[in-house]
Amino acid sequence: MSHQETTLDCLPPGAVASVVRVEGEDQIARRLGDLGFWAGTLVEVVRRAPLGDPTQYGLRGYRLALRRVEARRVVVRPGQVP
Amino acid sequence: MTPRSVLVAILAGRPNAGKTSLLMHLTGSPQRPINFAGTSVERVESRVVVEGTELQVVDLPGIGSLSALTRDEQEAIGFLQNRAAQGSERTVLCVVLDAVKLSVELRLLAQLSGLGLPLLVALTKNDVARASGRPVDATELERCLGVPVLEVNALTGAGVAALRQAILRRAETGRPMPLDIDPAAVAARVQPGSAAPARSLTDRIDAVLLHPLLGLPAVGLVLLAVFQLLFTGADPLIKLIEAGQAALAAWTVQQVPAGALQSLLVDGLIKGLGAILAFVPQIVLLMTLVTVLEASGYMARAAFVLDRALSSVGLSGRSFVSLVSSFACAVPGILSTRIIDNERDRLATIAVAPLMSCSARLPVYVLLIGAFFPPRYAALVLLLLYGLGIALAALVAGVLRRTLLRGGHSALLMELPEYQRPSRRVVVGQVWTALREFLVRAGTVIFAASLVVWLLSYYPRPAHIHAHYEARRAEVVAADPTAQKAALLELDRQEQAAYLEQSYLARAGKALQPVFAPAGFDWRITVGILAAFPARELIIPTLGILYSVGEVAADSYELGSLAQPGASGEGLRARLRSAVDAQGRPVFSTLTALALMVFFALCSQCMGTLATIGRETRSLRWPIFTFTYMTALAWVCAVLVFQIGSALGLGPART
Repeated sequence: MSHQETTLDCLPPGAVASVVRVEGEDQIARRLGDLGFWAGTLVEVVRRAPLGDPTQYGLRGYRLALRRVEARRVVVRPGQVP
Repeated sequence: MTPRSVLVAILAGRPNAGKTSLLMHLTGSPQRPINFAGTSVERVESRVVVEGTELQVVDLPGIGSLSALTRDEQEAIGFLQNRAAQGSERTVLCVVLDAVKLSVELRLLAQLSGLGLPLLVALTKNDVARASGRPVDATELERCLGVPVLEVNALTGAGVAALRQAILRRAETGRPMPLDIDPAAVAARVQPGSAAPARSLTDRIDAVLLHPLLGLPAVGLVLLAVFQLLFTGADPLIKLIEAGQAALAAWTVQQVPAGALQSLLVDGLIKGLGAILAFVPQIVLLMTLVTVLEASGYMARAAFVLDRALSSVGLSGRSFVSLVSSFACAVPGILSTRIIDNERDRLATIAVAPLMSCSARLPVYVLLIGAFFPPRYAALVLLLLYGLGIALAALVAGVLRRTLLRGGHSALLMELPEYQRPSRRVVVGQVWTALREFLVRAGTVIFAASLVVWLLSYYPRPAHIHAHYEARRAEVVAADPTAQKAALLELDRQEQAAYLEQSYLARAGKALQPVFAPAGFDWRITVGILAAFPARELIIPTLGILYSVGEVAADSYELGSLAQPGASGEGLRARLRSAVDAQGRPVFSTLTALALMVFFALCSQCMGTLATIGRETRSLRWPIFTFTYMTALAWVCAVLVFQIGSALGLGPART
């Protein structure tokens, strides 16, 4: 019954997903890890900015803005993990 | 006095964790910048004596991880590594953790523990976490981590005394081990529900301020309010400073006999000091507004709303704060670029920040608009000049990011903090820091440069001018012993102008004039441009002398005077309108005035800004580049305005 894996930028506002992994080994990937994108972390897509980018996410008790390019690095599985 | 032992406590943590408020409560004294051995970086530090030990508390810029993205992070991490490498004697690392997002904070703690400095944890904002139903069990956290955990309230100061004691005790214990913890597991244990997103009042405010339709107008309204306050609020203070300066100059003239010393004091020292002080009200007011917006959490929202627009021209949402600050003064604007995630974005922001019309340009605009434009067009012209700077900043940033600063992964990883009431102590501290940076970095350079300009405008003073005017004074006295005072004053003014015309500065202006001829500038305007090199508004007194009106009445360049034509400050305005060249043709027309204002809107006549760019980029390349491109841009635009306007028949009458 597991949902299809996708990337964070593809989710519409209001969606909730759990992180599978962060793609890449570079500084941005490391920073996404330092910001709380760990396997199993729940992420909520809160809203897009008025001009369409960046997007506000909610995770681990706080709010974070990411541009589409960075959000694409985060592989997620939509829907809440029980 | 008994010798005291010294202990250094470093406050480190993620941005918005409350480090700066904590510093204020820990020491209760104002911050002071210091240079630690081995670093070139000034860190905010403050000291207090506890039980015979001098505790030096250092506040580092916020860091999100040990792999630095921003200049602020590089400096903070470099400082920490440096301290760790020197050995951990008498140094305690106090890691400030925000309870609201504990799991993410614990990851940073684990990284910081690898430095090998003795550490303890100050847990902040647990009251906020408690209110949202996710309190952190501090006792359990201390057990899991094996290091002291002290709960503190950075706003009220509760728990700070205990923290101070704990820091002293921590220094006595042995060499620490890196923490081997799983942040998610520890957080799950001490804070139920730590993995899930939270909901609070902040989200309800954001629903309005970040609304798809209301978000942009909200930013516009905030900006409008800031400018309104800036223009109306700073005015009385600037008047006060100018009055003080005039009084001091008058007093000096009475005390010191006329001559080189008097001129150095009045035209060099006092004028230079006045040039610096006149910026202070606007800088203080604008930095207060920016700091309040920043500390309340709104600036991150404005950056969120505008990021798309700013990134399309090669900047970042984070550039917004710097650009807004630059409307008061580019110096604090450039300093605030340190929080930008990408070095190329940061350099592009630094390069275009001086194109924002700062408070030094305003008096120049007001003088020329007042002299050459009917009052009903005044606001429109002013708006156009501000708009020109903004439009060209977008253009230049776009070109830079496609050429010199091409590539580089431009990222935005920006926390949107909980809204909060800004702490007054923090606001006062930040504004004082910005002001001190301005006074130290820009003020000294502006001051030195205005002394050089005085020197060049005062000498060589050929003796034949003095002889000529002495003879004419004698004639006046002989002809009419009763009504001589006004006539003598007029002769004094003419003598002053004659000296200035023979000065090194005027010679340089005359030599350079052909360069500015296509923009319609005569040699006197050229001299004004040269004299304005230390700081833009210095063109006004120079024009005052060159057009022989002596001291320029303050009303001729005050914003309020635009609304009341014919006010007492008409002196310089009238002189500018009626000035003629050697052939009797008018020097100034509305078109010349417009070209001159366009030149001033875009040129980089500010030593303080250039010096700050040099320090912040640690290079000579960027200040030279900024000066060159801005001067070229200013010249091209001024020439375009004058030539196109002349072709349309708007120029001064030609023979």
